[in-house]
Formats: sequence, C-alpha cells, structure tokens
Amino acid sequence: MSTNNAPPQPVRLSLPLEYQQHLFQELRAEDELVVIAKGLGLMRLVTNLLHSYDAAGNNLIIVVGAEDRENAWIGEALAEQAAISMAPKARGLTVVNTDFTSVAAREKMYAKGGIYSITSRILVVDLLTTLLRTESITGVILLHADKVVATSLEAFILRIYRQKNKTGFLKAFSDSPDPFTIGFSPLATMMRNMFLRKASLWPRFHVTVAGSLEGKKKAEVIELEVPMTDDMNAIQQAIMECVEVSIHELKKGNSGLEMDDWNLDSALLKNFDVMVRRQLDPNWHRVSWKTKQIVSDLTVLRSLLHSVLALDAVSFLQQLDTIHAAHSPQPGSTRQNQSPWLFLDAANTIFATAKQRVYTAKRADVTPQGLVDSLRPVLEEQPKWALLAEILEEIDRDLYFEPSTRGDSNQTILVMCSDTATCRQLRDYLQTMHVQPKTDETPNPNKENHKPSASFMMRRRLRNYLNWKREFAKVNHELFSENQKALEGAVDPRLAQGSYKGRAPANKRRRIRGGGVIGATTPGRAANGSVAQYFEKPAEVADLIEEVQMLEEEAHQKADIVADPLEDMDDYFEVYDMQDLVVIHAYDGDQDEHVLEEIRPRYIIMYEPDASFIRRVEVYRSSHNDRNVRVYFMFYGGSVEEQRYLASVRREKDCFTKLIKERASMSVVMTTDSHGVEDPQEAFLRTVNTRIAGGGRLTATAEQPRVVVDVREFRSSLPSLLHGRNLNVIPCMLTVGDYILSPNICIERKSISDLISSFKDGRLYSQAETMFQHYKSPMLLIEFDQNKSFTLEPFADLSGNLRSVNPNEAPSDLQSKIVLLTLAFPRLRIIWSSSPYQTAEIFENLKTQEPEPDPIAAVRAGLDKDMKAEDQAFNLEPHEMLGVVPGVTPQNLKNLTLETENVREVANMTVGELSSLIGKEAARKVHGFFNRNLIDIDM
Amino acid sequence: QALPQRSSGSSILVSPRQKGNPVLAALRSLPWEYSDIPADYGLGLTTCALFLSLKYHRLHPEYIYTRIRNLQGKYNLRILLTMVDIPNHEDSLRELSKTSLINNVTIILCWSAAEAARYLELYKSYEHANFSAIKGQQATGYAEKLVEFVTVPRGINKADAISLVSAFGSIKNAVNGDPEQVAIIGGWGEKKVKRWCSVVEEPFRVQQ
Repeated sequence: MSTNNAPPQPVRLSLPLEYQQHLFQELRAEDELVVIAKGLGLMRLVTNLLHSYDAAGNNLIIVVGAEDRENAWIGEALAEQAAISMAPKARGLTVVNTDFTSVAAREKMYAKGGIYSITSRILVVDLLTTLLRTESITGVILLHADKVVATSLEAFILRIYRQKNKTGFLKAFSDSPDPFTIGFSPLATMMRNMFLRKASLWPRFHVTVAGSLEGKKKAEVIELEVPMTDDMNAIQQAIMECVEVSIHELKKGNSGLEMDDWNLDSALLKNFDVMVRRQLDPNWHRVSWKTKQIVSDLTVLRSLLHSVLALDAVSFLQQLDTIHAAHSPQPGSTRQNQSPWLFLDAANTIFATAKQRVYTAKRADVTPQGLVDSLRPVLEEQPKWALLAEILEEIDRDLYFEPSTRGDSNQTILVMCSDTATCRQLRDYLQTMHVQPKTDETPNPNKENHKPSASFMMRRRLRNYLNWKREFAKVNHELFSENQKALEGAVDPRLAQGSYKGRAPANKRRRIRGGGVIGATTPGRAANGSVAQYFEKPAEVADLIEEVQMLEEEAHQKADIVADPLEDMDDYFEVYDMQDLVVIHAYDGDQDEHVLEEIRPRYIIMYEPDASFIRRVEVYRSSHNDRNVRVYFMFYGGSVEEQRYLASVRREKDCFTKLIKERASMSVVMTTDSHGVEDPQEAFLRTVNTRIAGGGRLTATAEQPRVVVDVREFRSSLPSLLHGRNLNVIPCMLTVGDYILSPNICIERKSISDLISSFKDGRLYSQAETMFQHYKSPMLLIEFDQNKSFTLEPFADLSGNLRSVNPNEAPSDLQSKIVLLTLAFPRLRIIWSSSPYQTAEIFENLKTQEPEPDPIAAVRAGLDKDMKAEDQAFNLEPHEMLGVVPGVTPQNLKNLTLETENVREVANMTVGELSSLIGKEAARKVHGFFNRNLIDIDM
Repeated sequence: QALPQRSSGSSILVSPRQKGNPVLAALRSLPWEYSDIPADYGLGLTTCALFLSLKYHRLHPEYIYTRIRNLQGKYNLRILLTMVDIPNHEDSLRELSKTSLINNVTIILCWSAAEAARYLELYKSYEHANFSAIKGQQATGYAEKLVEFVTVPRGINKADAISLVSAFGSIKNAVNGDPEQVAIIGGWGEKKVKRWCSVVEEPFRVQQ
C-alpha cells in the first residue's frame, strides 16, 4: 500500500503500481474516457477514485451503469478504505436499484449527498422530474462506457446532466475495446455521446503497463498442452462439420445478404452466433422460420463445442440427450421443420461417439435365453484430470522438499476454471480420485504406485445418469408422445414392449443382432430421417447398472452433496493431505482480484485459458514484493479452446491498435463551453428545427410542448430523442398507452419484435380495446429500428399462394395479423416509422394545433376508481409467465395477480384456493398445469 | 366457416382508374372485377382502399386529399394502401400520418406490387373472419405450454425447459426449487439459475 503524495489529499490509496498511480493522477486532473485492457484492475482504480472524493465529503457523485456485483464491490471497497484512512466524512455507497425506495425518500437522500449508484432507468426519471437536481451533482462516474451509443439511456442521462451542469466532472471507464472499433470513426462518435474530449488508452503493451508488470517480480508460468482423446477429437470434428453445413444452409437461404465472413474460421470466435444474429438483425422480421432455427442451432452447436471439452463424458451424453429431446419435431411435422444438422452423418457421429465414451457393448454372452447383448461401461476420463492430479503431486513434492518458502504467500493451491459446473466437477474428481473402485478396504490415498483416477466418480455419475435417463424417458414420453406416435404411425412399438418403454433401438449394428426388428435399413434414423432418440432395453440397462452398482457401499461413505448449504456456491474448500487448501474457483471477471488477494496462493493452476486472468496474476505478483506465484496453464492442444484463446488475445490487441490510430488522427471539435451543449445536441439530432432553436417559438401554445411517457418506455431510445427535440418529457406510470400527445391522442409503440409477440399473446388486442375506452384517437406506432430494413416483406414469396389467404387457416405472418387488427378496430390509426428519429418528428408534427396533455388525467386513465396508482404497476415477466398458463385469461389474470404475491404462490395453491379467485374450471386447469407429474406415472 | 356469400361479394371490386396498375397483375388468389366505385378497391361492404404510390404523391400532393374527400364518409374502414417506392420517404410519411389522423383513413404500407396485392386479398378474404387469431389464447398442447411458460425469462431456451422439468418432475417442483438444485442441472449456468429463481419470486406488483 502506498500513500499518494499529492498534498491536498490526505487519503490512503491502494494503487501500488506505477501505471495505476499515473492513471489516477490523470483522472483527478481532468475529465476523460479510460479504455483499459481487461485484467489490469479497472475496478480498483474506480474505487480509489471514488474514495478520494468520498473522503473529501460534501459531494454528490452519481455512478452510472454499474452492475449488481460492481455495486457490491464498490460498496465494500469504499467502506474498507474509509476505515483504513479513517476519513470521518466518508459515507460509502448508496445503491438505488429498484423502485422500492419511495420518491420522497429518494429526494431526501439526494439532498444529503454522498455517492450513489443508480439504475439508469430510475436515474433518468429522477433527473427529468428534477427529483435529483442536475445542478447539485458534483460529478458522474460512468462504467461500461462501451455501451453508450447515441440512443442509449446513458447518453440521455449525460445529455440532461450536461445541459444544466457544465462544471461537474465526468469520467467514463471501459475495459472492452471491441465496441469502440466498429463503424465509422467509432471512438470520436462515442466520445461525442459522452461529451468528453480526451481518451486515455491502456493496453497491456502500453510502455508504463509493461514496465510495471515485467519487472524483476515476474510470475513463473508453465504452459502445458494436453492432447485430446481420439473420441473427443472425433466429436469436435463432427460438430465443426455440422457448423459448416449450418452456415452453408444459412447462406443458401438468405442469398440477398452480405455474409462473406461467415465461414468456419470465424465460427471459432467467441461470439460467432451473436455476430450472425447481429448481421441478420436488420432483417430479422423478414427471414424465414428456417433461418431463425439455424441461427439458434448455431448457438447450440457452439455450446456443444465447449461442453465436449468441459464436461465429463457422462454429463456430455446427458446434455446431448436433452438437446435431442428438445429438438425433436412438433406433432405432424415433416423433415422441413427440423434442424438440418440432425440429418447429417456427422450428427450421428456426435451421438454415437459420445455414447461410446460412456459405455459399449460387451461381447455377447450365450445364455439359455439365447444371445443377449450387454453393455460395459467405458467411462473415458478427461485428459486434463490426470494432468491436474500430476501437477498436484508435483506441488506436493515441491512443498515437501522445500517446506519453508520465503515470502508472504499461503501454501495454497488455487485452481481456476471457467464456470461453477467445472468447479463442481473438479471438486468431485479431487475428492474421489484416490478412491479405488472394486476394493473392499477403506481407500488409502497414500498407497504406493496407485494412479489417481476418476473411475469412482465416473461410475457414480453413470449410475445417476442411468437413473436420470429412465425418468427422462418417461418425461419425454409424457411431453412428446403425440409426436412420436405421429412419427411412427399406427403401430407403437412401445405398447408391444410392455411396462417399460424402450423403443427397439436401431442405432448400432449389434442391436440388429440382439433382436432389433425395426429400422434395419436406416440405422440410427427415425422415420423421417433425423437421428433417432435412443433408449436402452431394460435388460441391458440392468446389466450396466449391476456393473456400476458394485461400489454402492463406498458411495455411502461420502454422501454426495447435491445442494451446498452455504450461501456462497463459488468456493469449495477441501482439506488436502498436506494440510493446505486446494481452492477451486471459477473465473469471475474483476472479482478474481479479490480471490487472489484473499487466498494469496503459492500455486495457481489455470484449468482453462483466460487472458485477463493471466494479467490479474501479473498485477497481483507485481503489486506484492514478497509473494511468489507459480502458474500452471493448461489447454487442449489443437482444440477450439486453444484457438479461441489465441484469437481473443489477438483481437484485443488489434482493437487497441485501431483505437490508438484513430485517436492520433481524431479532430477534437466538440466543446463544452458556455453555449456548448447545443452543439453536440445538434450533431446528435442530425436535423434541427431552426424555428425553435432561434428562440422565437412559433408553436401555438405558450408553454413548452409536452409529452406524457410511460416510465417503462424509458428502455427505448424514443424518450431521449423527444427530449432532444425540445419536448418536455414527463415520465408517468401509465396504464393505457405508452405516449400521450394530447388529451385525444394516445399512442401504443411497438417495435417489430414487440408487435409479433403482442399479436401472439393477444396483448395488442386488449391494449387497443382499453385505448378506445379512454381516448378519442388511439394510434398504433409501428417503429422499425434505425438500422433495420424498413419493410415487412418476407424473403419468401407469399403472393399467389391460395392457402396463405384462406381465412380458415391460422394466419402466421405479420401482414395478415395487421389486416385483422384494422378490421377489428377500423378507427385505429397506424403510424409507420422507419426509425426513432423519424418517430420523434412525427410526434412533433401530430402535436401541432393540439392542446397539451394532462399528466394527471393520463395517469388516471384505465385505473379503477377505488384503486391507488401504486397497485397498478406490474412486473412484466412473471405476468407473462402466468399468462401462458392454461386456464388463465386476460380477465382473471388481473384478479389473480392482485390477490397473490408471485408465481411460486400460485403454483403452490390448491384447487379450492384457486377457484375462489378465478372459478372452478379455470382453477382446475391452472392446478393441473403446475401439478402434472411427469415422472411417477404408471404407463 | 362458410358464410352465405353475397351476390358480388366474392370478388374484389376495382375502379377503372386502376387500369394498368401492376398490383392488378399480382392479384391472383381471388377474383376481381371492374366496378364504378368512389374508392380504388372495394374490399367488402364497409371496407375500401385507396392506392397511393409515394412517387406519385410527391409530384401531386393534393391528389390524395381529393380522393379522400370523394369517399364522403361512405366506408367504415378506409385503407390508404401506400406503396413506398422512393428512398427518402420520411417527409411524405410524416405528412400522411397527420392526414390519417385528420381525415380518418388507416395507412398500410407496402413495398411492392405483390405485397399490395396480398394486402388486398387478405382484406377481402378476412371480410367475415373472426378475430380469435389476434386475441391470443390459442389452445396448444401441454408440452408447448410448458416450454412457453419456462422460456419466458430471457436466455432460457427449449432444451433448458425440458431438462428443468425432467429434473424436478413437475412445474410446481421446479418453481419451488432452490437455486442450488437448479444449478446442478446440465446446461443451467449461473445466469439462467438466477433469472429463473428471481422471476418465480418476483412480486406481480411493483412495490412502491
């Protein structure tokens, strides 16, 4: 810990490294945007900066854009630092993140000052209603600056802030350089959005950073390349093949789109599916159903790529089973409706090889009953496990020969992996790796020449898997029985099989020998040609269970902790034989810094590669003189994991290089001088109505034109743009409509995706109904995105198809639903807008010569007379969930949600309780939906 | 459902003014005939449509107002079928939005003759349709309802829904599940677990 030597700050800081101090001084001196490489300690910088203001007292500082965990971190760090530097004026952080705090309480709070982290949606409302007076703000700290695009809520907040407050500071932070490099002169645009003039870039290769981290106190890193097993390799190859075919299909189906860079190489990138999605997004409402499915397939396939490396063989098979069940076709569907990758040979390879890793057939035994195939567990282990065990042993030896190491480190071994599931897997492995199966004595970990193995754990998993599979077969049957019947025709083989449903497996050749009758011509394929779901015959399963059952007694010794009673699921502490701890932890962004500081490990094993964690170790090592760290770094050679890691490192470097170039050639034109706010605003609004900006307002009303906006609408960019057009935006909790332009005009805004979903659940119909009850001229605004193509035409040609206009068919496309809506409400006007910018102009135009709306009347519309406004505010998601439940109608939904607390309460109610609220028939349906048991049913 | 057809009810009535409009060539699914009507297309007893190309509108902005005036309030639903055939449509569309409010017409945008024809066909064929299709409440099977119910929170997909319910046995149990129990299900990462568990506990009403 070093003390900052600037005299006016008697504050103790925890920024030991040179670049950190440098950056801190810079930030104290002026407003700027800081883009820093991941892992270089962004949060530490922020908390120190906040503390320096906090300690001074008498400040009102707003933190914008912080996530929950960041809030927690900042809060903790501020309290800690206040205690260390004994600053009497420090007040710590107050988090305002839900609507729980009442308006009056908030007002009082703001008046007191201090540091507040406020959710953007609440902040913008408070600023607009001047609950929080802009002039009183000392400064704003903006996290995740990369998200501030022109139409974002954060940009809106900053604009309101800068409009009235020109002296307060503004410091923006980001640790992801990617978004700053997309588009035309992105850095300059972003900075204009934030009203900042200076950008400060801190890549890992910055001279000061490199100097601080690569001094004499370097961390020792050992890289270990682990080969994949043949089966894993085969699965990975097969998945890649599926990805390739999917991409090919995508290209075929969307010939009009730009997609040169959709190839297998980019498919390896971390966010390929996101990228494809983003590229398709402008046309998302126009692409065919099939394209959407392939895009979601890509996500599934990519998750499989990760799973094959991360999960153990049994869990992987289990995941495959689930995915397969979920992708099985809808009743009566044909092969056109199924994911194309399921039809490939490669898909078969995936499923077959995954199974092979778990069990295979034993050579047929000749029994009195004839030839019976039985299964034998294979239980392939992940290669990394053995290596992990080896490393731990090596560390043991190390510690044994050199027990008293100099330095401050604990003799702790920290194992880092990518997620908590892997944590759990490793914990299980380490706990059981010395338990030998097939021995009756107690396991003896110190036994000579015993190789650690996962067979105990794997057997246990297999046992669980087999149990799960039996239940899953039932569930699957319950859910999709119609589908299967539809697929298999009139004769259902399951009925012939008796009590247990095992479809005669047609998956492997040996099956045919073993009495399989069906499907000899198409092995592994269902009637429609996709990969068939495969269920074992009871006899075989019994064998397999018997095989793994042998060590049931051992299993009793250590009860498997399924649910950890501790609150904190992240950490699992286990006593290892040398009395030190092995801590297994998942990568967790900035929180990893805390882990390092708290655990002070001597040895770190990185089970999976992560570039930012390496930097954190570097920072950690350099920050402490006397802490030695040795890092083992594991990755599967030639795997997607390795390539992804290398690609991410390369991309970050490229991004920073681009940013540095742009900064060098950037012309700084924006200003925040006396009348300066108007300038960026102009750029932001693109067009300015000179009649208004000139000062002589030509509008008919004397008062500023105003629009009443529903608070939930602040998630969209329209309120920001309305405000930018000099309209007075009044946030209110509205029951009817989204925007009230005049006492007569009420507007319901729908983006295209909203429109589709609200047609589907009938929401729009009832919204239109209520609007007509309260307003003379209700309007539906269909708003396209700025970058989306302004058309509803699907790529597929629908015209001339007689079936598509048949009124008896359920209409599927958007056009026919719009037609129905206008027929149902002939007086409903439709506004078509190509972008939010356009909408703002239309609103202004509609408002001319109309009286101003009355906010109080707008809020009262649609409310029951005896009910207070507060009771009417609903949370959307639980509502939507309840709306799906059979038996719940829009009418009784209201009743239900008023009388009950949450979804859980409804799920636990009895028929009697429910029927008093919504009537008998509906109650029965709702109760049935929640209580239908899919497992313990006799079939 | 089969409703008694009126004498000329089965075909779209087209004003002779529309002769030569490519939309007519694209009208293929339903019969149409010329008829002397004030509107461009008669789509039923109470529904009519005026056709407007934005290209034309830009040259003759007063044309459409004359046409609307000539309708004389005869129809209940008056569609202004507007073809967007110019790139900078913003000004015209803004003006038309205002017009629709004042003159009581409903704007429907289309981007090609084929789409325009499809709208006309749809209006005609839905003349007597009921509105159940947009009222929601479509009866579907238990499995679909279940998947729909579980996948409401963002980020939870179909496969997750099925693995969740197969792990818990029933939706009720799944709703009552602890975060720890949900977390051990394959495919359920921390984010999903958190979303699921918070949404079932989230109060319906926002507390003030």
